[in-house]
Amino acid sequence: MEREQDLTDYRDRLLNAVKAGARRSACGTSDSIQVFVNQRRVGLLDGKGVEATLQVQTDVRIDSVQLRSEDGVLLGGLSAPEYGFRTSRIPLMRDTIELRVQNYAQGGSVSAISIPAPSFFHRVRRGLVGVADSAAPRPVTFAGSGMRAIAFAQVLLAVALVGLVADRTTGWMTPAHPPLSVTQTEAPWAAPLAEVMKLEQQLVELSRMQAKAVDTIQTQQQGMAQLQRTMAKLSSTQETVASSVLTVKQEMEQRRKGAGRDADRMTRVLMSKAQSEQEQLEAEIHSLTVANDQLSRERAQLEQSNLELKKRLKSTGMEVSKATVPDREKPVVAQQSEPASPPQMAEARTVPQQPPFLFWVTFSEGTNQDSIDQWVHDMHGRKGALSEGWQAVEIVPPTEPMERFLDQIKQTKIVKAVRISR
Amino acid sequence: MTPTGIRYISSREQTMQDRTGALGRLEQVVSTPEEFERVVSQALPILLERATNSTKRFLRETGQWCDDVAHEKFALRWGAEYLEQFFIAGRSEVPCRPLFLLDAVVAKQHSRPEPFCYHPDLLTPLGRLIDGLVSRAAISRDALIALYYHCFGLGPGQVITVLGLTGPAGQRIYKNFKRWRDSGWQRTMDDMGITECEVQDLCSQLQRHPQPSNSEAERIIRIAQSHYRKSEPDHYPCLSRRQWEEMFLEGYGSDYRIWHLALCLDCFTAAWDLGFRGAAAIEKPRVEFHVRP
Ligand SMILES: [Zn+2]
Ligand SMILES: [Zn+2]
Repeated sequence: MEREQDLTDYRDRLLNAVKAGARRSACGTSDSIQVFVNQRRVGLLDGKGVEATLQVQTDVRIDSVQLRSEDGVLLGGLSAPEYGFRTSRIPLMRDTIELRVQNYAQGGSVSAISIPAPSFFHRVRRGLVGVADSAAPRPVTFAGSGMRAIAFAQVLLAVALVGLVADRTTGWMTPAHPPLSVTQTEAPWAAPLAEVMKLEQQLVELSRMQAKAVDTIQTQQQGMAQLQRTMAKLSSTQETVASSVLTVKQEMEQRRKGAGRDADRMTRVLMSKAQSEQEQLEAEIHSLTVANDQLSRERAQLEQSNLELKKRLKSTGMEVSKATVPDREKPVVAQQSEPASPPQMAEARTVPQQPPFLFWVTFSEGTNQDSIDQWVHDMHGRKGALSEGWQAVEIVPPTEPMERFLDQIKQTKIVKAVRISR
Repeated sequence: MTPTGIRYISSREQTMQDRTGALGRLEQVVSTPEEFERVVSQALPILLERATNSTKRFLRETGQWCDDVAHEKFALRWGAEYLEQFFIAGRSEVPCRPLFLLDAVVAKQHSRPEPFCYHPDLLTPLGRLIDGLVSRAAISRDALIALYYHCFGLGPGQVITVLGLTGPAGQRIYKNFKRWRDSGWQRTMDDMGITECEVQDLCSQLQRHPQPSNSEAERIIRIAQSHYRKSEPDHYPCLSRRQWEEMFLEGYGSDYRIWHLALCLDCFTAAWDLGFRGAAAIEKPRVEFHVRP
């Protein structure tokens, strides 16, 4: 019974504590506020009546942000969204703390800004500069931070795409290897000249498109980097503003009796300078975002036409192999939708030289030279250098996707391992 | 006696009805922070019970439950902790269904590798007191500074010297001490459910058998510290004596010193005399546990 009473008392005490919330704190308005991210203390916001900012970057996802008084009472907080951006204003005794939390693919960031209640200084500032909207300079605007999330997402996309293109281009787009001459009797390509030329033209077009895609992505990455630099510059400018404000305030206090007007003038100069700098930066960010969007659209278009080209290439490849059946009289499959070939292509009189595809293999133990030669012959390929057990083989670029091609090679009985780069 | 009995029953029925109604409201969507606050603050007892029961279930399922007051209080304490976090963070989660949001908050906490510091030795009266002090230190600067007193008996001036603090950082220590003595310590006892009777018992036990009591305290402090040190900023790891020396000499990292040395007996022992800057240091510190502030 005594035990029950003890527990009931304890429960009531805890409930009252939860109800009382922030009022439980014995801290005053001049005490600092502790900031916790994922229940780990990351820093302090000094409550000295001036604007203070705390910026935190983490390489893990952010779950929660909490504000606590120096005596440990939970004053406010925010749980972070799975992905993206969330903001909250938490009114405290005198100041308001604005929390912004953001998660992106890798890690997150938090900014906590303490905004002092309108004070003498802010009245002065509003009078001088005519900032009517809010009591606080906005270190990173709402739109700014949202944009940053987008920027990160796009960088990731771009990187992924570069990886993809690089994967496709290594091997058969590298011009480093000498061209492999394929005699007409051996290669299926030698069959109907028109088809081969069409194929060749499409290959050229495809590689040009891919090169352009790579360029676009690089441009976009540069744009992204610039965007990020600008964002960083913006937040540091704002920090400068905050500290200039502090300096000005101290200065003003020192001169309160003497040259009050000087201080006023200084404030005006500093504030308007900071203001215009910020506006300039915001404009810069805006134009960068626009450019970025345009690049994204361009890239999407390129990807689309790339895809179409690949499809066409594949179907042409199939038609070519159909055309190699002994019956040479068989009419060439009509390609109605094919665009007219550019003149320089139409004038080409010989089979254009293919850049060969080079890869390396090692053979299973005990494989004799004859079966290796036979295998290379079956592939219509040519043996290259042999170094440290790896045999270089040059062939006509495979039409199937690289992974499938490599799988096929791996499944060959005599092949132990295969790789496409040195 | 009958009328009392009837009144008892009918008030109980009333409670049941209220309860069902309140639960129903908590299952509905709230769409503004104000609505969230209103609905939740009207149902705090129900929500505390729910969070506590989830914690009990978690303890049972992980083989950490035992049917006694200490465990009941442990579950209540964490239930209240989750409830408070839910109450604060939920405002930013609207629109939501409060009841399920609470479940999600608790489940998320319990899915962490070490949601709380559970150790049988932390469930004795001394263990609960130390758990209370050290866990509070993880969130309260006052409690953090007070650890130097509770563990080693250092006063504010000594803390400033030992940590090599100067200027405003030093001034704050006095403030921390004062606030802890005025209200912080008592609140910690209340939040831990440590009764005045238990406090008195602990005091007299320490007086009668200082030697075994202090070494028991040291053992438990180490258990609690190793858990709650995880709340430090993660760039505050243990340092060698040499690295501490450099930090003291060059006068940087006062926050680092304050935090880590309060939560790490080994580093404190290693860096103990560095703050004296050549002046005669007192002999090596030993754990000398103080119950009251
Ligand atoms: Zn633990
Ligand atoms: Zn340490």
